[in-house]
Amino acid sequence: MNPQLQVLIALQDILLLIRDSKDPSSQRAMDKIGFELTNIESLEATKTDLERQLKPAIRSEYTRAQQRYGRIVAPVINSICYGCFVKIPYAIDGADDRNKTLYRCENCGMFLYWVDK
Amino acid sequence: MKLSETITPGRINLNLTATTRETVLEELVGLLHLKPSARKALLQTLQTREELGSTAVGDGIAIPHCRSLVVGEVLVAVGRSVRGVSFRASDRRRVKLFFLIVAPPAGDPGDYLIILGSVAQVARLLAKDRRLKAITTAQHFISLVKELEE
Repeated sequence: MNPQLQVLIALQDILLLIRDSKDPSSQRAMDKIGFELTNIESLEATKTDLERQLKPAIRSEYTRAQQRYGRIVAPVINSICYGCFVKIPYAIDGADDRNKTLYRCENCGMFLYWVDK
Repeated sequence: MKLSETITPGRINLNLTATTRETVLEELVGLLHLKPSARKALLQTLQTREELGSTAVGDGIAIPHCRSLVVGEVLVAVGRSVRGVSFRASDRRRVKLFFLIVAPPAGDPGDYLIILGSVAQVARLLAKDRRLKAITTAQHFISLVKELEE
């Protein structure tokens, strides 16, 4: 996998974890199950560390996508970008270097990750 | 969602060999049979989740979980450790029964919480069930889960 894509995926997963951890209804549900959410600050620190690993050009795209969509990478499942639900052109979707090269959706601009099927 | 309908024999390991929190997560993620790059990304997210607070819920049970971009559907893996693994449980008991739950980021977070809740409920019943110790095959494990869910 492209190393920068790996960082972007980790960032997106952490952003989701931070959002879920701060959501009052999620917190209540987690507490009811028995999970302790005691260290939210550690997530912010990990997020900052990961952001530092992004190349400047990708980091600015990441910031833009995060502000615009609240997420940065869109999964591709059955040739559909799950960021905007538009079909990915075959020239990209059929490429051998999917996930090895950093591709972006031509429609919504989000970075693309082809999910294992 | 019923746990018995989600778990498959290939995603159950009744003899985990891992002895640490890190290696048990690796062993559980291995049961999902993902590509190496996806496995690595998922492991990183699960480890970050554990830093937030242990997913051990007491009674020798842990439910490591996260929502991750690397999966396209809810995946569940189950592991049993005969000796138990120290997993920073609040009751300080070693964890012997693990349920790994990974869900895609899309979809209602409420659904994900419902899945977690229902797995936790069945896990607690399982941990108290004396038959669990005697189970040696994944198919028998699924049958027991099914029985407890009814």
